[in-house]
Amino acid sequence: MTEQPLRSATYDVADLHEANELFQRNGWTDGLPIVPPTEDLVRRFVEASRLGPADVVGIEPVRRRRITAEKVAIAAVMAGGLPEYMPVVTALVRAVCEPVYGLHGCTASTGGSAPFVVVNGPIRRALDMNATHNALANGRRANATIGRALRLLIINVLGGVPGRLDRSTLGHPGKFTFCVAEDEEDSPWPSLAAERGVPASVSAVTVLAAESPHQIMNEWTADPREILDTYAAAIRANMLTYSIWAGNYALVIAKQQRDIIVAAGWSKADIRRYVFEAARVRRGDWRAVGKSAVAGRKDEAQVYAALRSPDDLLVVAAGGPAGGFGVVVPPWYGAKSLAVTKTI
Amino acid sequence: MSLKVLDPRLDAEGEAMTLAMPLERLEGVTIGLLDNAKIGTAVLFDHVQQILASRFGVREFIRRRKPDSSRPAPPEMLGELSAADAVISAIGD
Repeated sequence: MTEQPLRSATYDVADLHEANELFQRNGWTDGLPIVPPTEDLVRRFVEASRLGPADVVGIEPVRRRRITAEKVAIAAVMAGGLPEYMPVVTALVRAVCEPVYGLHGCTASTGGSAPFVVVNGPIRRALDMNATHNALANGRRANATIGRALRLLIINVLGGVPGRLDRSTLGHPGKFTFCVAEDEEDSPWPSLAAERGVPASVSAVTVLAAESPHQIMNEWTADPREILDTYAAAIRANMLTYSIWAGNYALVIAKQQRDIIVAAGWSKADIRRYVFEAARVRRGDWRAVGKSAVAGRKDEAQVYAALRSPDDLLVVAAGGPAGGFGVVVPPWYGAKSLAVTKTI
Repeated sequence: MSLKVLDPRLDAEGEAMTLAMPLERLEGVTIGLLDNAKIGTAVLFDHVQQILASRFGVREFIRRRKPDSSRPAPPEMLGELSAADAVISAIGD
């Protein structure tokens, strides 16, 4: 048990309700109620991280904000999590502090992204994370509060307050939480983390600065190429209507489509190669979507690929058993932020 | 029942950035203008430069444009700007 003192300032409040009102009044939350970060709770969360409270988990590279285990624990308590979630949250903080993630830029940008978090490995089961029905949305405590803990840290430790450092024009609902576990038990493919070099027995998080997910539907084919053509069409739509620049896209493929793709003998690598070729637009295509003013600035025959290479595509198996659905998760802004994987 | 709750911010521990002291006067000084590379910044700075020179007597300007709007200015660019008495950074979004 750690003996190191906690360093945060403290406030005396009458009860739980008043604690929440204090945080709401001061803008220290995302708008939803918080669990009050009392000293006892924060200590328990710090201990679960196996760090001391003053240990620096990560340093945001632009403004040099040092994110201590104590502040991570406060955010994780506030988010409504459990102490055993702490290793996931600290791995997530280490990931977003990598310079290639560009945390400051994607937080401050008018583009309004959210960290899209994928959890892999044994810890998913240990924390009872959801990877099936409603995989990207509400229902399970770990998914909900791990993603929210990162948001509360961005608000309180980095100053990512809307209208202040966070200049998002619109943002999207994933800014509350956007955390999925991969359905490794029901997929023959290597996990996302395994494809990114992490041994299957080791848990890991992968995070991507992402725009809102775009759901696709195709349940009328047994040909994996046709299924992936639908995803590629959604990516092309994003390139034309949002941002044409290449970067990390993620596909979340649910069970029904996965079964078809697997039955055809396709691996995740096959998926990546196919989408790499299919997700391309011509600059001149901008004319059909109201962007003729910029289409003609360069050669309109020029072809733009959504991915710099097949490896830019993150393929995740998750979602309920029925329905020919999947989602495309687009990047915040091309390759200005890259996906980062960290072991837990 | 009463509770003691912890402050979630870094600001409360004195790690927040603070505003630099303002210049006492603008006449005769050198002002750095750091363009964040968004499309409207050059137009904005042309205007700001004109006002600072004609109305406030600013003597010299050091104008630099960041290579990437989403990343910090390179150290050598900050080094060049350090010759100014004050620097204005702007987003021309």
